[in-house]
Amino acid sequence: MKYALRRVLQAVVVVLLAYVFTFVVISVLPGDPVTNTLRNPQNGFSEEEIQRIVAYYGLDRPVHEQLWQSLSRFVVGDLGVSLRSGLPVSRLISEVLSSTLVLAASALGVALVLAFAIGFGTQYLPKRYGQGLLRAFPSLFLSVPNFVIGLLLINVFAFQLGLFRVIDSEGGLATLFAAIALGIPVSARIAEVLVANLDHESAEEYASVARSRGLGRTGLLLRHLLKPSSLPVVTVVALAVGELLGGAVITEQIFGRTGIGSLVERSVTTQDLPVLQAVVTLAAIVFVGVNLIADLVYPLLDPRVRLGESRSRPKVEVAA
Amino acid sequence: MAPQDRLTGELLRVEGLTVSYGDHQVVTDVGFSLRRGESLALIGESGSGKSTIARSVLRLLPRGVGRATGTVEFEGQEILSLSERRFRPLRGRRIGFVPQDPGNSLNPVRTIGVQAQEAAALIGEKGPEVVLETFDQVGLDNPRRVYDSYPHQLSGGMLQRVLIGLTVLPRPALIVADEPTSALDVTIQKRILDLLSQLRQDLNISLLLITHDLAIAAERADSLVVLKDGVVQEAGSTASVFSAPSSEYARKLHADVPALNPDRYQHLRDSDRPVGEPPRIEVRGVSKTFTVDGKVLTAVDDVSFSVAPGTTHALVGESGSGKTTTIRLLLGLEEPDSGSITVAGEEVTRRSHASLRSVRRHLQLVYQNPFTSLDPLWTVKRLVGESLDRYRVGDRDERVREALDSVGLSQDLLSRRPTALSGGQRQRVALARALVLRPDVIVLDEPTSALDVSVQAGIVEVMLTLQASLGLTYVFVSHDLALVRQLAHTVSVMRQGRIVESGPVAAVLDNPQEPYTRALVDSIPAGADPVAGGVS
Repeated sequence: MKYALRRVLQAVVVVLLAYVFTFVVISVLPGDPVTNTLRNPQNGFSEEEIQRIVAYYGLDRPVHEQLWQSLSRFVVGDLGVSLRSGLPVSRLISEVLSSTLVLAASALGVALVLAFAIGFGTQYLPKRYGQGLLRAFPSLFLSVPNFVIGLLLINVFAFQLGLFRVIDSEGGLATLFAAIALGIPVSARIAEVLVANLDHESAEEYASVARSRGLGRTGLLLRHLLKPSSLPVVTVVALAVGELLGGAVITEQIFGRTGIGSLVERSVTTQDLPVLQAVVTLAAIVFVGVNLIADLVYPLLDPRVRLGESRSRPKVEVAA
Repeated sequence: MAPQDRLTGELLRVEGLTVSYGDHQVVTDVGFSLRRGESLALIGESGSGKSTIARSVLRLLPRGVGRATGTVEFEGQEILSLSERRFRPLRGRRIGFVPQDPGNSLNPVRTIGVQAQEAAALIGEKGPEVVLETFDQVGLDNPRRVYDSYPHQLSGGMLQRVLIGLTVLPRPALIVADEPTSALDVTIQKRILDLLSQLRQDLNISLLLITHDLAIAAERADSLVVLKDGVVQEAGSTASVFSAPSSEYARKLHADVPALNPDRYQHLRDSDRPVGEPPRIEVRGVSKTFTVDGKVLTAVDDVSFSVAPGTTHALVGESGSGKTTTIRLLLGLEEPDSGSITVAGEEVTRRSHASLRSVRRHLQLVYQNPFTSLDPLWTVKRLVGESLDRYRVGDRDERVREALDSVGLSQDLLSRRPTALSGGQRQRVALARALVLRPDVIVLDEPTSALDVSVQAGIVEVMLTLQASLGLTYVFVSHDLALVRQLAHTVSVMRQGRIVESGPVAAVLDNPQEPYTRALVDSIPAGADPVAGGVS
């Protein structure tokens, strides 16, 4: 319990540090949001509104005071107001968040299915022919960037086969293909670890001993090898969340989806700093949160960690 | 098959068995046969192919790598050529397997119960009752708790009982046991072997015992097959192989087993020693506690002993008895909470780093495992010469050569690295490394426990010759009482951080006063026949 509490506190500190760091980086960037955005005639703010926003963010005061003001609002859940649209940032985010979360979650699902298919395949296919091919997949998947995969998928399935429309692409099939594009590189990382661990575990003495009790290949795989080989996958998935978030920005652009990605893209080009600050912090919260959950769940999955002296997740073994 | 064959006939027949891993042939034309209800031991040192034969019988050779040819007939059926699908029903049901190291032979992330249920399923049992009954039968105190435990929550001895239980549960006709006790403490070894013998008798199960230990084989098997480099050297009934070994190798093996030759080195041990000198090592009332997770653990509790110059003092005990902490204190690697330690008249405890250095020069250590204690990237010359550099001793090359000479290693090895040396050569390098500073005292932490008996015999001989010629004082840590009897002058038996009994080796081992010491002494395998075994 003490351990859990300490980990939660650590996570909170990391999120706050991420917030401060983002704030500092944004502040030192060249360009003045007041002249660039607020006084941009296109946005049509009146002088009065501008004064109000400047006063709200303390833009006429020193940076450390702005930080303090911004941080104390963040702590109570106030993310501020968009400089471009004047709408609350929390509302802008909540409008697009669900679309991105659906995409990222489906991509993770695709990645897991693919990775376990590859992992099982390496245990079943004859060594000489099938396995070599299957074992090449992870490095292949890793070496092709997800935007290339995305463009290929669009070209084949949208343009040539007409399975889904790229414009207005929030439908199920469109989401699936976007998830495939985003999920494939992630599946490579998971598969690498899974295959390495299946190989490692099946060479362990307990696997031979289990076979001496009359277990066949499937029994051995499902009853014995699967669980210990999957445990490190928890760690990899937690780390892959970062990749999923980053990849989502690109994938959303390619597949013409509205989501956090398109919001980020718009905010960057218009220097909408409060939105950027909020999105980066949100990414930090998700990443830290997922890793926190992984750390807290791991001891429940692995009895050795639960009762052993070492509380941290064991290191992940990756194929040489 | 005639009815009486079912009870007494031939159960397993191996003929012309040849096994290779890739192009490397590890077993050549091996043959033997085992009758129902009898036991046969395959004896050999590492690399003799004994485990490979065991795995061939179970058809558990590494997939795609190991290839076995020849004939293995089990209950009259050729099994080597059977398809995996037709052979699998025999595994577990008719042929059981007891592995070497119980610590890594059960899935660490599944409960014992889940794994036990696999064995029960072989005879169509779904509930835990059969398993609990079996656990009770193999002497596990609280079957229910064991059933719900994970492997890491049980001791090695308990795990081996579990594994034996799982093996006998489906009532196989044959058990293949691959070094079933070599990873266990000595007193537990004996109990596990007793259990196996008794179950065998009760259930009329045949045993194919794989072991490196001639004494254990002699005690537990009806017939022996002695292997070397994958070739049978000698085979026959235990009594005949034991009393009149016909092959050179079997004779040598017999001579090298400490339990069978307690007085082998008596002439070296009893060489002249200075009399009336003060003890070289004196440990007085030393205690050491550690705090782990808020709990105070007493590792060493009021330990005292002294060692006369030119003699060997053995520290004996099982894992967790405080042997290792005691020698760490002796070497000044750890500060005692109380008590004092002097080596050659100099206080080891409560000294600065710099002044400890001058004591350590006279106090050297040889580690247990020569496969991990030598830096694999260093040459022999650098390994042995390292401490000369540390202490800025001149004419290093000369001293290194001299040290290699004294442990019986050739100068040709100077530029080799540990990976190009055998286990015995490595441990000789470790010994040379300790000798090169010409110390008075060498602490040996189970220096031969990772080595084969014949290699062990070589190391022991070197150690004792050096002691006789240089007047070295040894502190020898071991769990092997037979070895202690061969080479030590005095002994302290440790248990739970305390010395329970101490004195001259002969007095303590021949007439143990403490029950614990007696248990240790009893656990030395006596061999087939005390007279033939050479116990005087």
